Amino acid sequence: MSMTTRRTVLAGAAALPLSARAQGAMDLKGTTVVFASWGGAYQDAEKVSYCEPFAKATGATVVQDGPMNVAKFRAMASSGTPDWDVVDITGGFLEVAAKDGLLEKIDPKLVTLSRIEPRFVHEYGVGCIVWSYNLGYSTTAFPNGAPTTWADLFDLKKFPGKRTVLDQPVASLEVALLADGVAPDKLYPLDVDRAFKKLDQIKGQTVFWTTNSQSQQLFVDREVVAGIILNGRVYDAAQKGAKIALSWEQNIQAVDYLVVPKGSKNRDAAMRLIDTMTVAENQAKVANLIAYSPTNIEAYKTIEPKLEPWLCTTPENTKKGFIMSQLYWRDHLKDLTERWTAWKLA
Amino acid sequence: MRAVDGRIWLILPAVSLLAVAFLVPVGWLLSRAFTFPEPGLQNFALLWERPVYMRVMMNTLIISAIVTPVTVLLAFPVAHLMAHGSARLRRWLVFLVLVPFWTSLLVRAFATAILLQRHGVINSFLIGFGLVEEPLPLLYNMTGLLAGCVQVLLPFVIFPLYSSMARIDPGYMRAAATLGAPPVRAFLRVYLPLTLPGLVTGATLVFISTLGYYIIPALLGGARQQMIAQLIQDQIAAFGNWGVAGALSLVLLAITGAMVALLHVTVGLKEIAR
Repeated sequence: MSMTTRRTVLAGAAALPLSARAQGAMDLKGTTVVFASWGGAYQDAEKVSYCEPFAKATGATVVQDGPMNVAKFRAMASSGTPDWDVVDITGGFLEVAAKDGLLEKIDPKLVTLSRIEPRFVHEYGVGCIVWSYNLGYSTTAFPNGAPTTWADLFDLKKFPGKRTVLDQPVASLEVALLADGVAPDKLYPLDVDRAFKKLDQIKGQTVFWTTNSQSQQLFVDREVVAGIILNGRVYDAAQKGAKIALSWEQNIQAVDYLVVPKGSKNRDAAMRLIDTMTVAENQAKVANLIAYSPTNIEAYKTIEPKLEPWLCTTPENTKKGFIMSQLYWRDHLKDLTERWTAWKLA
Repeated sequence: MRAVDGRIWLILPAVSLLAVAFLVPVGWLLSRAFTFPEPGLQNFALLWERPVYMRVMMNTLIISAIVTPVTVLLAFPVAHLMAHGSARLRRWLVFLVLVPFWTSLLVRAFATAILLQRHGVINSFLIGFGLVEEPLPLLYNMTGLLAGCVQVLLPFVIFPLYSSMARIDPGYMRAAATLGAPPVRAFLRVYLPLTLPGLVTGATLVFISTLGYYIIPALLGGARQQMIAQLIQDQIAAFGNWGVAGALSLVLLAITGAMVALLHVTVGLKEIAR
């Protein structure tokens, strides 16, 4: 029977590294892996770029679920029998979940970690995309020169007009301190009093955004002339014809990770799906579909050149930016969110 | 002793649906206030120690207290025309009030934003006619929130008011006039008291609905229009903190309960059920 021959061939391949062997084998027939992410165009891109190649190579079935939700994830992982096997989570939640024992350790025997930039590899998760908080601005509002630094965002004389800032302390406090002259490597632990004092300068001129689409819409409707906004959102708005551009100076990067919830029945298969994500061509596919930045830098070989100026992990934009400390936010998010709310009401 | 109505079993499906889909999950959430992360009153202690929670609660009450009279004042003439105008006019008004009722809340919130924004319909009009120089700040502040809440909640006052007004015999007002009451006095002493059941029902519905508003303040309000539902959502979605979310919900429920009790004392629920 053909199965026998396949087994023989497999046995002969035993000398290969495990992940390479796994990629070629149809040994997961009958296994169902549940993949959960954030829905929308992003999850569609992940499905095509990670899940379908994985299913094709291994014979496994991948079921799409979601959207990812912290409360749901926590309840599942605490129960010990999660419905999800591979989940796309933010770096902020990764640190919380790792500390609370909600995640399986990444198995380096099943995931080829060397493909990923070391700064995007975590003991409990592998970075799949990177996004950044940038200074976005209207290209029509400032004919005598556009704002380029975070300090410009706070300069109401030179760059008058309404601003937008995200309605949360994360990134907003970092931006305030950078604008006040703190160097990126001296940011943490944040000087919170100083940050709020700086934010007071523009509070009266600021519209706070709660969803990413809102941040984009504020520029499209010309409600604001400058603000903190994600790189992907500036790209999307510009594609749709909005008069908007972004500055890469001191861009603040955050990573999304693929993780395996504690107790997953399909741990090994889940690890191998994550391994499929690490392949450069697969990451390039995601970038080409929705312009999110890869964690495997080899991916730039197959990413369309016109996208590169919008991506934060190119060598140039990496140099200008830094990665936000999710460990700091793990320990301070609750208190600083309370303080943020109080500050807004004051 | 009165015999139980033989048809009482007909309400079983509705009651069991309510029990499963409403009482069980809400009861579960509220019980978390005392049990998550461990048994005790620590979640209520936290609400007490951190002033921000009670300030947002106060803020929510104040916003509801502003939205309610504005909605009632705007609804009153509409309901009056509906009750006492021609049948043709009534049909049109009912239709016009119902159309937005069938439209998604999100769509209506965004429509309000398009109307009120800096380069929106109202500001373009005002600037175009030279009535103002700079666009008026109508959005991302109390004005925006008020506009959003009132337009969504108007039907909740118009219909109860209409049903009260439709039952008022026009002869009463004629009688008041015959007996020498000037129109304003007749309105205040005869007509208005007769609309009270509908008015109080509508006002209470508006007040209670506004207390729980989430989408509208997030999309149309500004930094100072933070409401309690947004905080409850944050506690669950961002922190997975069912305990504090449950405690906040319980406080909100207690305030809502107090409002209904007040209604019962002042107007009487029997009157409203009539």
